[in-house]
Amino acid sequence: MEFPSKLISDSVEVFSKLPGIGKKTALRLVLHLLNQPIEDVRDFGQTIIRMRESIKYCKKCHNISDGEVCSICSNRSRQKQLVCVVETLRDVLAIENTQNYRGIYHVLGGVISPLEGVGPEKLQISSLFERIQSGEITELIMALSPTMEGDTTVFYINKKLQEEQLDVKVTMLARGVSFGGELQYVDEVTLSRALATRLPYE
Amino acid sequence: MRIEKLNLANFKNYPELMVDFNKGINIITGLNGAGKTNLLDAIYYLCFTKSYYQNSDSQNILHENNYFRVEGAFCKDTDPDAAQNTAISVAFMKGKKKQVDKNKVVYDKISDHIGFCPLVLIEPDDVQIIKGGSKERRKLMDTALSQVDREYLLAYMKYERTRSQRNALLKQFAERRTFDENLILGYDQQLISSGNLIYEKRKTILAALNPIFLDFYEILSGGKEKVEFHYNSVLNDLSFEECLLKNREKDRIMQRTTAGIHGDDWAFEIKDHPLKKLGSQGQQKSFLIALKLALHQYLKKERNTNPLLLLDDIFDKLDVERIEMLLKLVTGEDFGQVFITDTDGERLESLLVNRKTDYQHFKINSGKLL
Ligand SMILES: [Zn+2]
Repeated sequence: MEFPSKLISDSVEVFSKLPGIGKKTALRLVLHLLNQPIEDVRDFGQTIIRMRESIKYCKKCHNISDGEVCSICSNRSRQKQLVCVVETLRDVLAIENTQNYRGIYHVLGGVISPLEGVGPEKLQISSLFERIQSGEITELIMALSPTMEGDTTVFYINKKLQEEQLDVKVTMLARGVSFGGELQYVDEVTLSRALATRLPYE
Repeated sequence: MRIEKLNLANFKNYPELMVDFNKGINIITGLNGAGKTNLLDAIYYLCFTKSYYQNSDSQNILHENNYFRVEGAFCKDTDPDAAQNTAISVAFMKGKKKQVDKNKVVYDKISDHIGFCPLVLIEPDDVQIIKGGSKERRKLMDTALSQVDREYLLAYMKYERTRSQRNALLKQFAERRTFDENLILGYDQQLISSGNLIYEKRKTILAALNPIFLDFYEILSGGKEKVEFHYNSVLNDLSFEECLLKNREKDRIMQRTTAGIHGDDWAFEIKDHPLKKLGSQGQQKSFLIALKLALHQYLKKERNTNPLLLLDDIFDKLDVERIEMLLKLVTGEDFGQVFITDTDGERLESLLVNRKTDYQHFKINSGKLL
């Protein structure tokens, strides 16, 4: 696309770098901003800069936080001995949305994947072990993606726990048939896994 | 299954094509380069979402265009009037992701489509399966297994993914001069679980295939010579766990996973010797055709539907007796829809007329139906 203004084309360029935004959508957004009062646009830009500059990561769980320690870790009514290990902030949000989890978190920042250059040292794994060594954790809930990479990461953490003889219970999220789903629509792998890990009838 | 209609746009040498196929035998004739093989490849695309010949999708676009589309209407064998069609479409545009859809619903994962319509292709370059490396033979059998068993396909994809991760890890260990056993073990146990499943399923297909194969070989060769078909796996002698442990040092030095079911081979033997060394050309051809026909019958039994059978340009290299025998087989009741290409239509037609078989003849010239 050719634009009569370099200012416009630069802005379109910047917007189209965002995930899920093509050139056409970028142009629509830029033209929209162009029609807004200058104060609103200034506010828009500054909000984003402030977000990027002042965001912190909780020094305990590595979740995104406004202060040194996040609101979940500093919440007195949360059970501090129960830690749910997740990949990213998005997983924290998903579990928080259930409003049913009373423990705290540990955000790894991803899963082990040598192909993408991600080894254990690039993840928050040693900080997890420091937390465990301090002795206040009794259970780790592994809530990583059910992929080969997720499974390998769980295996690795578990192996290291055994090696260092750390006494902590490790549990996994149950994997199986989704709630309210009809059996005929469940894929074979999920179904065979659900059969293998079947539960006693309550 | 059978394919009722095929529509092409900018696919290989076809600017556009609309064709209705016969339920049984379809003969496609034309000069070399007319597009006979391309037509078969289009059918292959609809079953496997990729070309048999070309790894890159963009290479299948007609010159000076930026997309191609292949569409087909499929129906069950048990549906003689094609009352219920399933529309499959594969479309690719340069710079975009390939899109495969079934009755206008786009697949999230393209691999979910594999196995929708089983297919067996026999073509002149098949001798590579005998003469070439083990990779060709594994591809043949893995393709067959993936068409009947989703669990196999998923285990296979997981195995390959794990192997690339493990290889990348071994490379990093070598570069950084470190080693972390816990990390390697993480990949090992994933290789073991998916690898054992692959191993067991390969043994199962061998057992199911062997008797059918031997029957077909006897019919095709009229032969008395002893032929055999084996599965040689590293796991025949030791467990996968032992295998990985035994090769750990070697893997570290070579910076890749040296041993595993990814190196397994299928051995073809005649009179207790490798077919590639001792078999005559005729014996090698009979062996391969018998094996592929056996795969057809195996797929048919497992999937409870007739696979499509594509015979690409194979009559040129076969003697008349074998051609007649093969036509007798594939026009019989054990086979469903068949596509046969040849440069010489008359030879093929005279053979089919003798057999009183219902067939349809499509003549092709430079990407057009005559
Ligand atoms: Zn926190």
